[in-house]
This record gives sequence, C-alpha cells and structure tokens, in this order.
Amino acid sequence: MNYDCLIVGGGFSGLTCGIRCQGAGLSTAIISAGMSALHFSSGSIDLVGYDHERKIVYRPFEYLEKFTGAAPDHPYAHCGVETVRESLFFLKDVLAAEEMEIHNNGDENHFHVTGMGTLKPTFFSQRSVFNSAISQAFARKAKIAVLNFEGYRDFYPELAITNLLNNSLFRDVEISTGKLVFPDYGDPQKNPFEYRSIDVARIFDTIQYLDEIAEQIKREAGDAEFVAMPAFIGIQNYKKHHQILQMLTGKLIYEIPALPPSILGMRLDDALKSRFAELGGVLIAGDMVKGGDFRGGLLDHVHTQNYGTARLRAKAFVLSTGSFFSGGLVSDARGIREPIFDLRVSATSPRSTWHSPQFLDRKGHPFLEFGVETNGRLNPLDAGGNPVENIFCTGALLPHYNPIREGSGGGVAVATGFHAANQIIKACG
Amino acid sequence: MKRIETDVIIIGGGATGCGTLRDLALRGIKAVLIEKNDIASGTTGRNHGLLHSGARYAVNDLESAMECIAENRILKKIARHCIEDTGGLFVTLPEDDPGYHQKLVEHCRYARIDCEEISIGKALRIEPNLNPAALSALRVPDGTIDPFRLVSSNVLDAQERGARIFTHTFVTAVIQEGSRVTGVRCHDTGTREDFEVYGQVVINASGVWGQRICALAGVELKMFPSKGAMVIIDYRINNVVVNRCRVPSDGDIIVPGDTVSLIGTTSKKIDYSQIEELSIDDSEIEVLLADGEKLIPNISRTRVLRAYSGVRPLIAVSGDVDGREISRGIVLIDHAARDGVEGFITIAGGKLMTYRLMAQMTTDLACKKLDSSRKCSTHREPLPGSELKSMPGKHIKFFSGIPQSVVGSTLYRHGERVRQILSLSKRNYALICECEMVCEGEVEYAIRHLNVKDLVDLRRRTRIGMGPCQGELCSYRAAGLFARLNVATSAESNGMLVDFLEERWKGMKPILWGDGLREAEFTHWIYQGLFGLGDVNLPGEEESL
Repeated sequence: MNYDCLIVGGGFSGLTCGIRCQGAGLSTAIISAGMSALHFSSGSIDLVGYDHERKIVYRPFEYLEKFTGAAPDHPYAHCGVETVRESLFFLKDVLAAEEMEIHNNGDENHFHVTGMGTLKPTFFSQRSVFNSAISQAFARKAKIAVLNFEGYRDFYPELAITNLLNNSLFRDVEISTGKLVFPDYGDPQKNPFEYRSIDVARIFDTIQYLDEIAEQIKREAGDAEFVAMPAFIGIQNYKKHHQILQMLTGKLIYEIPALPPSILGMRLDDALKSRFAELGGVLIAGDMVKGGDFRGGLLDHVHTQNYGTARLRAKAFVLSTGSFFSGGLVSDARGIREPIFDLRVSATSPRSTWHSPQFLDRKGHPFLEFGVETNGRLNPLDAGGNPVENIFCTGALLPHYNPIREGSGGGVAVATGFHAANQIIKACG
Repeated sequence: MKRIETDVIIIGGGATGCGTLRDLALRGIKAVLIEKNDIASGTTGRNHGLLHSGARYAVNDLESAMECIAENRILKKIARHCIEDTGGLFVTLPEDDPGYHQKLVEHCRYARIDCEEISIGKALRIEPNLNPAALSALRVPDGTIDPFRLVSSNVLDAQERGARIFTHTFVTAVIQEGSRVTGVRCHDTGTREDFEVYGQVVINASGVWGQRICALAGVELKMFPSKGAMVIIDYRINNVVVNRCRVPSDGDIIVPGDTVSLIGTTSKKIDYSQIEELSIDDSEIEVLLADGEKLIPNISRTRVLRAYSGVRPLIAVSGDVDGREISRGIVLIDHAARDGVEGFITIAGGKLMTYRLMAQMTTDLACKKLDSSRKCSTHREPLPGSELKSMPGKHIKFFSGIPQSVVGSTLYRHGERVRQILSLSKRNYALICECEMVCEGEVEYAIRHLNVKDLVDLRRRTRIGMGPCQGELCSYRAAGLFARLNVATSAESNGMLVDFLEERWKGMKPILWGDGLREAEFTHWIYQGLFGLGDVNLPGEEESL
C-alpha cells in the first residue's frame, strides 16, 4: 500500500490533517486505534483561554501575537498566528459542509458552562452551546431551568447551580431545576438508573419520543425562557431534533457538557470522519502502527498490528498519536518514551518533577507539557539530533504547551494538523 | 457550651478505641468516643491488612506471636465478613539464610501456630505466581483482614447498643478536678462547635497521637514513631499471603486484599513532628517493588496503583535504632498508679491483630475503676454482619433481579447486613462505582448508618474510588448523592470532591508512571479541563458571555 500521506492517529488533529491533505488531492490514509480524546472532550474548541497567570484571555489572537514571540517552542509559535486563524476557519468550513453549525464570538472567546457550573472560555461552540440568541438571553438574565433525565448519574444540577450562582454573571439570575422521566424508553435490558449520556442520546435521537419530551420540558421548566440540559440531545439527529424541541417548547435549549462519553465530542468526530470519507480518504480503523523502517534519514514505511509484515508506504507520515492517555507517549518508573519510533522527547527528570504537589494545582502538571521534540516544521529529531523531514508530529504528542492550564488543546490539535498538512501538500505538489 | 454526661470517654477511633467502645457497650456501660478525623483513618487503616498467624513474630517475639494466633482464631469467628481465610506461605529464596526456615518451624511449635512444611511443587499449586526458584516453603494460618470494615462494624454494634461517637472532632483540653480527670473539651470541625464530655474514666486510645493527649492531661508519654510504607498492585496477583522466610526486613510480605495485592513494608524511624505529613521516598518504592518481585516475579509487569504509609505507635524503649526490634507488645497504663492522675488510662503499642485483646484489657481496667463486675464477651459475640457463615447463594436468590456481582460485592463488604442495604428498586442497585461494584443503596446506607461525613469517609466504608480508576467518575457521582440525599449542601459536596481528589493524589504521586500516569492525566482532564473544579472558588468574571 502506497499513499501520499499516512496519518497515525485518528483524533482531532489527525482528522484535521487528513481532511486538509485529501481535500488538496493527496491520497491520504488515517490509521486509528479506536476512540480518541474527542470522545472525552467538551465538544467546544478552545483556542487559548488563559494566560500564563491563568487570567482569562478574551481576545485570543491578539494574545497569541504577543505570547508566541516570548514562547518560540510553543506549537502555536511553530504554526504562526495567521496559520492558527486560517486552520480554525478551515475547520469551521469543513464542519459546515457536514451541516454542523459552529459559532464563534467574532475574534473573541465566549464562555460555556461546565458540568460543575464553572465557566470556560472557548473559541468555537456548537449551536446548542453558543449562538447569538443564547448570548442575548444570558445578557438579559433570562430565567433558567436546569433539567436532568431521571436516573442519569453523570450530572447533578445541584452542584452546578451552586457554583453558577456564585459567579457574578449569574448572581441575579433565577435558576430552577426539574427532571424528565421516561421509564419505558431505551433498552429494557439496562437499568435506567445506570444510563450514560449515550443511552439518553438514543432516546433523543428517536423522533416519536419528541412530543412527549417537549411536554415534559414545558411542564418542568415552567416560565423559564432558557432550558439547560446535560449534553445528551442526540447524536445522529441532534441538529433537527434540537430545533424541533425548541419549536415545540418555545424555549431556548442549551447543552452542558457532562461526564464522558461526550456527546458533543462524538458529533464532531462523526462529522470529521464523514467529511474525510466523502473526500475519498481511507480510514483504517482498529489498527495500530507497531514500527517502521528508515532509509536515508527518512521514514520509508510502517507496519501495523493487523497487516503483519505488509509495508505501508507514504511520501509523508503524520504522527498524531496523542499524549499518555491515548498512548502517544508512554512512561515507566525511569522515564518517558515515544513508543513507535523512540523519537526524542522533551521531559524533565527525576520522576518527582513530573507532577505538581496538588492535584488541582493552578500551575498544572509538568507531565502535560512533555512530548516529542520537533523543529518549527514539526519534524521530530532522530537519535543524532537531525530532523526526520518526512515525519510531522501534531496535537497532544507535542511538548511545550499545557492544554489544560492554557485551555488550548483543541486549537493546538487543529492548528498543528493543518500546519503539517500545508507542508505535506507543498512537498508533494 | 453543650455538655454531655457519660461513664467512659474514649479518645481515638482506631481499632483499639472502637473495640473498647464496643466492649463497654456489650457490658452495658455508657461511653462516648471522640475521633479527630475518621474512624480507622490513622495507623489502623494504614497497614497491609494481614490477619497474622503470629509466625512473623515467632522467632523474635514469642509473646506477640501467641497473642496473634489466639486473636486470629477469635477473629475468624466474630469478624467473618472482615476476613478472608486465605492461608499464608513462608518461602525461602536462594539468597536467604536457609537456617531461618528450621528456626521458624521450631518457634511456631512453641507458639502453637500450625506450621506445615510443604514441597515447592505444592506451594506453586497453592500460589502459581510464586517465584519457582524458592528453596523451601511453610504453610501457616495467615489471612487477610479489612481494617475499615472491622472498625466500622465495632462502631455499628456499639452505637446500636447506645454508645455515641463524634468523628472529625478534636480533643482540645483534658478537664481535671484536682488530681482526677473528669472529662474532655472538644471541637467539632464540621459544625465548628465546642462541647464538653464528662465521665468517670477517660481512655487515651489515640495511638501515636497519645503523646499529645497525655500532654493535655499533664502526663509525660514518649512515643517512638516508625514509618512503614506499602505499595498497592492493581490486581490480586496472589491467592494467599506470601511471606519471605527470613529475619524481618523491608519488602518481605505480599498480602492479597479485595481486588488488589499489597507489598509491605519498610520501617524507618521518623521524628514525632513528621507524623501528620508522611512522605514516601522513591527509594522505599524501589525496595518494595524489587523485593516484591523476588517473591512474585510478575509484579514487575503489573501496574502499581498507589503507595501509602502508616506510623507504628510504639512506645519508646532505649537502645533500639530502627524500630523493628522493639517489642510490639501491649502497653496499658493506669495513670493513677504511674502518675497519680486518677480516672485516666492510656492503651498503646500492640497491633491491629490484638485490638480486641487490648480493648478487653482496657475495659477490664475501666470496669475496675467503675466498680463494675461485667465480663468481656467480645471474643464470642459476632460483629454485625458476621452472625452467620457467608452463604452467597442464599442472598443472590433472595435478591434475584439484582446483578449477582452487586449482591456479591455488597455481601462481601457488609456481611449479613446486605439485607438492610439492597432492595429491588432499580435506583437502589444502580452502580455508582463500577470498579468496586458499589451501588447507590450501599452509598446511602453508609451515609445514613456508618458515620460518613465526607467522600473520604465513604471510601473507607465502601471501597468507592479504591479501584483501578481511583475515583474518576464515581467521586463526582457520590458527591452529587451527598447533595441529593440532603446530607450536605452543594457547596459542601463540591468541597468534598476537591478533598477526595487531593487525598487520592497523595497515594498516586509516588508511583506516577505507566497506566497510573495515564489515569491521572484523564482524571485531571475531567475535573480540571472539563469541569474547571479548581476554578470553583474563583471570583466571578465581569464580562458578558
């Protein structure tokens, strides 16, 4: 098998890169081991939410212009702020082609409400999380009803509302609670008190239940103009059903990302995979790259678990294998390693420096900033310290940024995936 | 200030204090127990959970060995649901002194501990993961004991017989009238209220913290704290307790317990000022894993789940350097005789295995002071939940409709009390913690009946958050249940969640690599990335959405 571009890792970054390459006419394949971090994400796309003092960033591009100058190793610095911007709006168009509406607040961040009732700055959100009607309703302090599905264990409105009311933005807002009860729906083999987001989403995906759901929403929400629910309003039919429910109830319906699996993230994953397939890309699912051979300082081919000794060749390879959680980096008691090619990693030692003393430390944890060392083109370095010019590393595999502390995980995934694709397109063209 | 009158006041909610509370209650004597944190949160809950046969002490400390085997037999009857009668092995490895084996056999004979010499082949059949290079093996009646369940059952029984307990409550002063101790002043850290308890006898059962209590009573007592570190392996890799057959030293035992196995222990003298914040050094972890691997080689390929340490509450005797050679004997002090302070008793030393005997000795002395002739019955009265031999089939049939795994896990943790915990309501048996199979009904029962004030307490009663994921999803759910059951405000629930995650973090930090690091990244992502839990107390932002 021979491709122009072979991408290892089918997460947010790999898919963005794949869509860009395939869309530019390169024959592209993505090897994906399974679920990606998108399944655990908020479903909004954070660009940069906090500065180095963890103060909220309101104008992310302005901030990045200054910040990248002072942090030359940061992935955004490798991409350049213009490419970061271009990549995000490229993604917005890609999702629009899949009829997924993504909203941004011009060049500014907006906030989304978390399951704990805190507010997170983010750049792009799905329609049910941010749009002009929602921001107007928030601005005029419309009454909110937080509704939950009876028995859904992964969201407790009580905890969220307390924290929300502590925020000055919500201090004068009236917030009520209520619950939806559908004992007869769903899988009879399953205890309805053990439903996860996905089980509830299946109910919302079913059109014949919508009238009943709408009735219950109206009853439970009372005179609240605004209804907030955990993000479980469907996966396949979410767009249409969200609209129908808003129409039937006459209320604005807002989704709060809850514990994984993330329905909002799965919608993004579905849309990106669908786009990649429509463009003619090849998705090799359920397989893992085990290694590869180098020739003349370049990666010649890789081999995978399922293909055995068969060689998968490409002109360019992209490594979007994620951080520790996704297996892109591994560790033992002695150190950190990149497991496929043993590429040079940036990490600290000894082990006691990998973490902060507190779990919820405001400085975040150093291990989140470990990753594969690259040059500005995102090429990793071989044992001799020379860049491997046909491998590009993207997303959470990269070092020198802290996705959680900065609120930058989604943006770095998209921007570096796009930046890598641009260079591959140029090299292949 | 609120004032409570009772007969006996116990300070310290470890095994000894709670055992004494129960002994007093069984003898019909009114008692109040004060614990500064949670029951079993000190040394009691920070050991390897070995139900000693006494063999470990037989060579060096025959008296302790004989106490252990006697209590071993009693506990197997009264605390069935807290115990697994796994049996244990002592194995000699090629680098060990082969003479110790024979010495141990002889000393076990003196102590009347059943000690059977078995072939390596038989030892490997009993414990297939054992190092096949072992030279010889002995079989002894070791087992495992869950200290949390044991202590909670003692308290439950005592409370059902009228005893009272205040957890998360500090003793701030010992009240004296002349040369007599008459009570204690307390501060409840939850309600932030001060109150006084008066009684005729005050028992200091606060273990290593007893030095401080004695000081409050104007009496000198010098503790000799010795730290012991342990690591938890994320699978139950052995069926039986595996001991190294050599002079006691670091890393010489692997104890299975519930869903995990534990490698114990190190021993290191520490300064008294360090007893609150115990740290674990990388060198201790290395020693434990290296020695553990010698006994059971596949430990090197198994995930390490946590590391933790406890303080041995030994009372100082001169001439000992590392705290291991010291007798772990029971020290019962009548301060009237020793210091001329009437109405004040200190019970210290000993070990988890002898908690009941220590409670009996203490209660006997208290009874003498109270002129009561009631006799001890704790050696024959089963603890609540342990009344009958476990018959899982019977309960599974009774609760048909509830997944067997849920019935089995609840039964395993609460014995016969399972009947008061589970019901056929779907909400009742819905799982909150999938790793340890803890359902909503068990959480509610623990919160309502087992003196649970926060998520960390709940973990000790139910094992919630103790499994492979270390509370990734269940801690949020359980925090939500505190609010939903109206036993905590939402703000308190949020606070508990932070405290719980920070408490779990303490045990994860020392072993943060491999899958442990992966799990930590994920949990950090959920609670900080997705929930912004660390930002809960941030002042509100003054901008529009």
